[in-house]
Amino acid sequence: MAMKSTSPLAGLLRKSPFKPIQEHMRTVFSCVSLLMPLFEALSAKDGKMINQLAQQIDELETEADKQKSVFRLNMPKTLFMPVDRRDLLNLLRDQDALADDAEKISQILTSRDMTVPEAIKDLLGDLLQGTLEICSEAKLMIEELDELVQVGFGGREHDKVIEMIAGVRTSEHNLDQTLHKIKRALFTAEETLPPVSVMFWYQIIDLLGNMSNQAENMSDRLLLFLSK
Amino acid sequence: MEIITAYGTILMVLAIVFGLYMTWGVGANDLANAMGTSVGAGAVTVKQAIGIAIVFEFAGAVLAGGNVTNTIRKGIIDPTSIVDRPEILVYGMLAALLAAAVWLMIASAKGWPVSTTHSIVGALVGFAIVGIGPEAVNWGKIGKIIASWVVSPVIGGTISFLLVMSTRKLIFDTENPLKNAKRYAPFYIFMVGFIISLVTLFKGLKHLNIHLSGIQSFALATAIGILTALLGWSLIRKVAEDPDADREFHFASVEKVFTPMMLFTACSMAFAHGSNDVANGIGPLAAVVSIVSSGGEVMQKSQMPIWILVVGGAGIVTGLVTLGYRVMLTVGTKITELTPSRGFCAELAAASTVVLASRTGLPVSTTHILVGSVLGVGLARGIGALDLRVVMNIIISWVVTLPAGAVMAMAFFFFLKGIFG
Repeated sequence: MAMKSTSPLAGLLRKSPFKPIQEHMRTVFSCVSLLMPLFEALSAKDGKMINQLAQQIDELETEADKQKSVFRLNMPKTLFMPVDRRDLLNLLRDQDALADDAEKISQILTSRDMTVPEAIKDLLGDLLQGTLEICSEAKLMIEELDELVQVGFGGREHDKVIEMIAGVRTSEHNLDQTLHKIKRALFTAEETLPPVSVMFWYQIIDLLGNMSNQAENMSDRLLLFLSK
Repeated sequence: MEIITAYGTILMVLAIVFGLYMTWGVGANDLANAMGTSVGAGAVTVKQAIGIAIVFEFAGAVLAGGNVTNTIRKGIIDPTSIVDRPEILVYGMLAALLAAAVWLMIASAKGWPVSTTHSIVGALVGFAIVGIGPEAVNWGKIGKIIASWVVSPVIGGTISFLLVMSTRKLIFDTENPLKNAKRYAPFYIFMVGFIISLVTLFKGLKHLNIHLSGIQSFALATAIGILTALLGWSLIRKVAEDPDADREFHFASVEKVFTPMMLFTACSMAFAHGSNDVANGIGPLAAVVSIVSSGGEVMQKSQMPIWILVVGGAGIVTGLVTLGYRVMLTVGTKITELTPSRGFCAELAAASTVVLASRTGLPVSTTHILVGSVLGVGLARGIGALDLRVVMNIIISWVVTLPAGAVMAMAFFFFLKGIFG
């Protein structure tokens, strides 16, 4: 006779939501990391390489989107979790926004033949570097989630993550100054540059600034987990 | 009286067959649920789990199972008004057994989380209402039993919550979790042996003609606790740090200390299950046997013969070997989310609660208490996600099982009465 498992235990214990969140963040981070070689290819005026990298960014962004949808489908309202369901879904959205912004930037670089203006070259390098550092800090923070569950979001692990959150905040604050400087530099050089290109450079700078804001939002969500 | 003399043997055979059917169902499903956690954690293989089950089910049933068997056998129904018609009680017990077993099969096929305990209690009440009259039901006792179904998972949850908190304080949230895990593990293993044996021993072995004073019980329980702790220590001593696994998850090595510890909770779960759930099958069987063998005496003062326990144990083991191992594997693969440290806390809490209930003669549901204990871990913010739909399903299963068992028992009762007259 066919016997189904009547075990309430099997139904009770759902897959941890923190693992898929971490996997999603890993995909997002791989996607974001490609911005560095992308801008290097731009400086080297290597059109083939730009297209290739943009292609990869696009694929990783699609993969992250897929992970996001699967995650959302597996989040019924009846779940009892150590953190608020809404905070978790918002965290996922913030993570996903990072990949979206990276994709938008790569799309600009493929749809237009852009040249990096001499006036902002160094600052652009700094801005990219800073953005990636914040994203990397945010990823490390997410990697601590399973350890946080093990200790019930308290104790040493709690203090460690609080420090990481503070780190992300400081980095974001520092990067704001770089953002201001690069916009200033672009403004002073504006007259000498093709106007439409300038417009798109402002857009790229804003997208990069947006990414560090998203990373900071992620740290705010994590703070909510810790204070519950 | 004549019916008992005329059909005594056939009624007894029927009781044994139904009893085996019922205990087979208990072994196929219930026990597998209770031990699946340890299998899932990789503490024991399915074969080892079956071996543990054989030994500790019997031990639990013989050493600590008497009170629940007595509740099922004579605590729920008051047969004083039918002393001159003992066959009514025999039909009723047979009907209750069959009803509970059939309901269990239906529920298993449909995948409903019903409890064997609830089925048999519902069936007994159902028979008593139509067979003897509502006044024959010991409603006070029923009230207590139903209250225990709500209270016991809460107690299990509270204990597991406290256990999880203690592992955090002593082990996980410290400078060197692995060192502390190894230091405190023997103490936790001691608790498994100590609590289970103390609850069992404390004024609990009178039916075996063993009379221990409070201090003697305490000393013996301590000795058993130390013995288990030593055994456990020899198992965890060899657990080494695994830097590769720790990089991925910082507490991977610590969890490895808890894996062998779940061997002990597997034993205690089997013991607890034996002390409580075997009674569901053999309680009615024992009632029939005592009426038939005494030639129609319904008041049942006699002691339960030991061979009835053997029948119960055999049924459970057969159930486990034929179907239960598969349930165990399914449960095991599905509940990998319960890491060894949490599984240990949940099982220890559940086993202690069940044995305590058994000592007070309350038939409870091992599985539901385990669910309560896992929820306790969840309340300590220790589990990624628990689906509360299950809790709702369990409550629905209570509401459905009691009347379903009752109605089926009524039908079987009239059927048997019609056949034998």
